[in-house]
Amino acid sequence: MTFREVNAKMIEATVVPGRRLFSQRGAMLAYKGDVSFTPNIQGGQGGVMSMIGRRVANEATPLMTVEGSGTVLFGHGGHHIQVIHLTGDTLYVEADRLLAFEGTLQQGTMFMGSQGGVMGLVRGQVTGQGLFTTTLTGRGAVAVMAHGGVFEVPITPQRPVHVDPQAYVAHHGDVRNKLSTALGWRDMVGRGSGEAFQLELSGSGAVYVQASEEKL
Amino acid sequence: MTTYPGAGPVVHDPMTLPVDESVNKYTFCVELKGSQWFLQKGKMIAYYGSIEFNGVGHGRLDRVVRTSFHSPLHAGDWVVADGSGKMLLADRAFDVNSYDLDDGNLTIRSGNLLAFQPSLSLKQSIIPGFLTLIGTGKFVAASNGPVVFMEPPIRVDPQALVGWADCPSPCHHYDHGYLTGVWGGLRAMTGLGGASGEEHQFEFVGAGTVLLQSTETLMAEQATGAVPNEPGVPGGGGVPGHQGSPGAPRLPGQLGDLQRRFGL
Repeated sequence: MTFREVNAKMIEATVVPGRRLFSQRGAMLAYKGDVSFTPNIQGGQGGVMSMIGRRVANEATPLMTVEGSGTVLFGHGGHHIQVIHLTGDTLYVEADRLLAFEGTLQQGTMFMGSQGGVMGLVRGQVTGQGLFTTTLTGRGAVAVMAHGGVFEVPITPQRPVHVDPQAYVAHHGDVRNKLSTALGWRDMVGRGSGEAFQLELSGSGAVYVQASEEKL
Repeated sequence: MTTYPGAGPVVHDPMTLPVDESVNKYTFCVELKGSQWFLQKGKMIAYYGSIEFNGVGHGRLDRVVRTSFHSPLHAGDWVVADGSGKMLLADRAFDVNSYDLDDGNLTIRSGNLLAFQPSLSLKQSIIPGFLTLIGTGKFVAASNGPVVFMEPPIRVDPQALVGWADCPSPCHHYDHGYLTGVWGGLRAMTGLGGASGEEHQFEFVGAGTVLLQSTETLMAEQATGAVPNEPGVPGGGGVPGHQGSPGAPRLPGQLGDLQRRFGL
């Protein structure tokens, strides 16, 4: 276990030689042992082209490489932390929610329009993801930040999940998402329920939802 | 006082309130039986019984103040609660915890200390912005997120440090190994690539306990008072020409004297 949850707002990461971690800059609280923190110009993996891609996509979050041997405590801004273990599938998450992740994961950037065309772009606007989102693929652990506690909602083919776009944190697995609207004449005259847009996720996987509608 | 999920809020009365224990994560209850507690101004949220709150330094409590308050320069931030009853303490929904000291010492960031028993004596720490409690007794401290106790040797982000007990050796540690070599020099000269934000830590070694809060969000500082302006006192300003650069004040997290080393 690379990441151990110390409490709801702090994780302990074990660093061993040869297995580096990436973490958000400035998120280290304390460390034991011989650990070095190097700012990562590229903001992650994949060389210069990936870096340019992230800059263009506005998914470039200041990251640092954590190497050495020892244990590191991470926490940031009083946000709640959820550790997600990936077993070969892809996690979709906003880059600024990433607290730390293992170097074994492949980082990528995804254009929202590639999932559902124009509706994908609209979805990105509503969830606050923007036009692009970050993907992490492979085997390893990710620590994701959220405002308020996080809970995991499993998605099975029979049971699609509807999530408030503002409370959406991340999802992984083979999941299709679409924005479902429940707009009616009431919304037009300003008497809507305030829940006109929902994110509908179907397929098989899991979605992480925060207990707050506040963005990071 | 069992709580059932969905049973609604727990209703306390003077009898069911805990004695010198936490009511919940955010509130601490103190019982006074003709005894006194020191508390920071404005941290009392409610009380039962007859409790008087007096400013430190005047009135009939002068003796208590004299015996357990050894940093009179910031006495204005503290009040003495005196009387009998139960008093609730809280601070802006931060996590509140109580700690017992048994003939020990603990140094804590000034803003985090809420209240303490007069059996402890409060002193200014040599480290500016910190207070030291010495003796036997209970005190109440707030933190942003739960407090985590760690054993040295450990290096701690300055903003995550709440305090430490029994470690005599807090010192600064600068880690800028990535600023060496050609790339490091370029990085330091141009600022491209940025800093990791983790160049500076407090290092603790030896036996003791270090208290960390779970986030890097600091609580508001409380003035600990000025230190005597004499030579040899850290922060006293008694040694001219030895108090940092004459230019801008050094910011937290700023690199040591790297600017000078790289000729900036």
